[in-house]
Amino acid sequence: MKNIKEKIIEVKNLKKNFKISKRMNGLPGHIANLFKPKYEVKEAVKGIDFEIYEGECVGFIGANGAGKSTTIKMLSGILYPDSGCINVMGFEPHKDRKKYVANIGVVFGQKSQLSWDLPVIDSFELLKNIYKIPSDVYKKNLDEFMELLDMSNFINQPVRQLSLGQRMRADIAASLLHSPKLVFFDEPTIGLDVVAKEKIREFVRYMNKEKKVTFIFTTHDMQDIAKTCERIIIIDKGSKMYDGSVKELVDKYGGSVKLAIEIKDVLVDEEYIKLLKQSLENQFIDCEFTIEDKKNNIVEIMFENKTLSSVQVTTFLAEKFTLKDFRISDIDIEEIVRKIYEGGITL
Amino acid sequence: MEKTYNAFSLFLCYSKITIKSWFQYKVDACMRSLAVFFREATGVIVIYLTMLTFDEINGWNTNELLLLFSFVYVTYGILIVFFTGLRDFEFLVNTGQFDRFLLRPRGALFQVIASNSDWFAAIGHGALGICLFIFSANNVQIVWNFWNIIYCISSIIGGVFIQAAIFLVVASLSFFFIKTGSIRELLYWNTRKFANYPISIFPKFVKIFMTYIIPFAFVNYFPATYLLDKDSGEFLGKTFCYITPVIGIVMFGAAYLFWNYSLKRYKSTGN
Repeated sequence: MKNIKEKIIEVKNLKKNFKISKRMNGLPGHIANLFKPKYEVKEAVKGIDFEIYEGECVGFIGANGAGKSTTIKMLSGILYPDSGCINVMGFEPHKDRKKYVANIGVVFGQKSQLSWDLPVIDSFELLKNIYKIPSDVYKKNLDEFMELLDMSNFINQPVRQLSLGQRMRADIAASLLHSPKLVFFDEPTIGLDVVAKEKIREFVRYMNKEKKVTFIFTTHDMQDIAKTCERIIIIDKGSKMYDGSVKELVDKYGGSVKLAIEIKDVLVDEEYIKLLKQSLENQFIDCEFTIEDKKNNIVEIMFENKTLSSVQVTTFLAEKFTLKDFRISDIDIEEIVRKIYEGGITL
Repeated sequence: MEKTYNAFSLFLCYSKITIKSWFQYKVDACMRSLAVFFREATGVIVIYLTMLTFDEINGWNTNELLLLFSFVYVTYGILIVFFTGLRDFEFLVNTGQFDRFLLRPRGALFQVIASNSDWFAAIGHGALGICLFIFSANNVQIVWNFWNIIYCISSIIGGVFIQAAIFLVVASLSFFFIKTGSIRELLYWNTRKFANYPISIFPKFVKIFMTYIIPFAFVNYFPATYLLDKDSGEFLGKTFCYITPVIGIVMFGAAYLFWNYSLKRYKSTGN
């Protein structure tokens, strides 16, 4: 399937370092730094490779400071890479900037591109001029986005009066008015409520499936990923940790079960957790249990359910301990990613 | 041709946005014109009052000094209609808003310039400059002919570009230092204070500084000496009086090259 589609992004051994001035503490340190500045080189991106094909929707995830934004900024031509090569639709982003950016759309969740004091529509008119969008295309896109993003009731309101959700929808429309084939979304759902998030996800799905727009989507909300992306790239400390389908990741690392139990009558403390773990390990030899105290007498037990069924574990616990309630759930992508960040899973 | 048209049309479009934004706060905008006018006028009045006790400084009488002032205000008024984007550039870098300009398929510098304009302050500065110019030019009895008018216009344009070049250099330095308020203070505002007086009264190093390093003397001193038919001092005779437009364009060109060089060092902030 992949081979038929055309490569839209090709990144090879991409690197970017930042020089950070390293200051000693206190006033003497600051003064010393004036005369003899000391720098520390921070490797923000250390040799990343990947390819993205036309029509894909790729989730780009990583903890804060992992190098996602730096990579997106290099891909969109804002930053010069230190080494390595980037080819997007035949362009080298930082070199042919003007021609290249006419083909992409970028949304930064934290930085709006709309004029704060003016109605949304004024900013759109400006973009029409900047991108030299033909009037018929502009009108068609505008009408479509008005409907899909439900913007008709605030399009004539000044941006400063909009809610965050409305502003974000307007920002998304602004970045897509010129019908780009490739769109970068950098945390577009940050700070939004569930309904607003869902609207944006729906829009992404529609544009991706119906309009064949390629999306690169960075987010911290795993629901965004689960609902829109088929493929994810996980970045940590400047290197690529995982690149593949969401389903594979869940199948491979998500073969565990999370069992939440509520203990009755006894106060759960460290001793209790130790005891719990000890008895589980004694009962089910060769099985690994991760136990977490969730407070309020709730304890979470995680184990692989390939050899061990949850019925066995629950029955055992019910006999030995005073359970008030229990709940079983699969480990979802959120859990997996959290564990990857924390170093619990090495890919 | 088409390129010029496109650029012009985008410039108009951006201007429409800035003017509309200003008009969102009408009272504040109009007060800004008044505030700027009176703030600057007080400075001029103080010097005017001081001059009542001295007849002249180094051969310059009160009206001639006011002509010197008028060039500073007129050029600055025009400057902030077109180049406010450069003056306030550090803010764009500091907040990361400059990223957005790089993501649009137009020249980055062009967008920075087109997207910002301090219209109402410009009215304050411009009105003061024009008042001073009319008042002083009347009193010193400049003979107006075709060449004088052309001379004045080209010198004013040249003067605008000289100051725009200084702002452009400071703006480019924002790529290296992020915050450049103090550098701008030093290079522009302090130099401009010297320019309120005929540079012939200053010691030699100030003259050299004002002529060759930060050539603010070309903004007002040399054009004024020409119009008043004065001896410009020990400098290359009258030649310096004619080259303000050349200096302006050469400086702006050099500053543009420096901008292009610095742009590659841009480190975006945030996220």
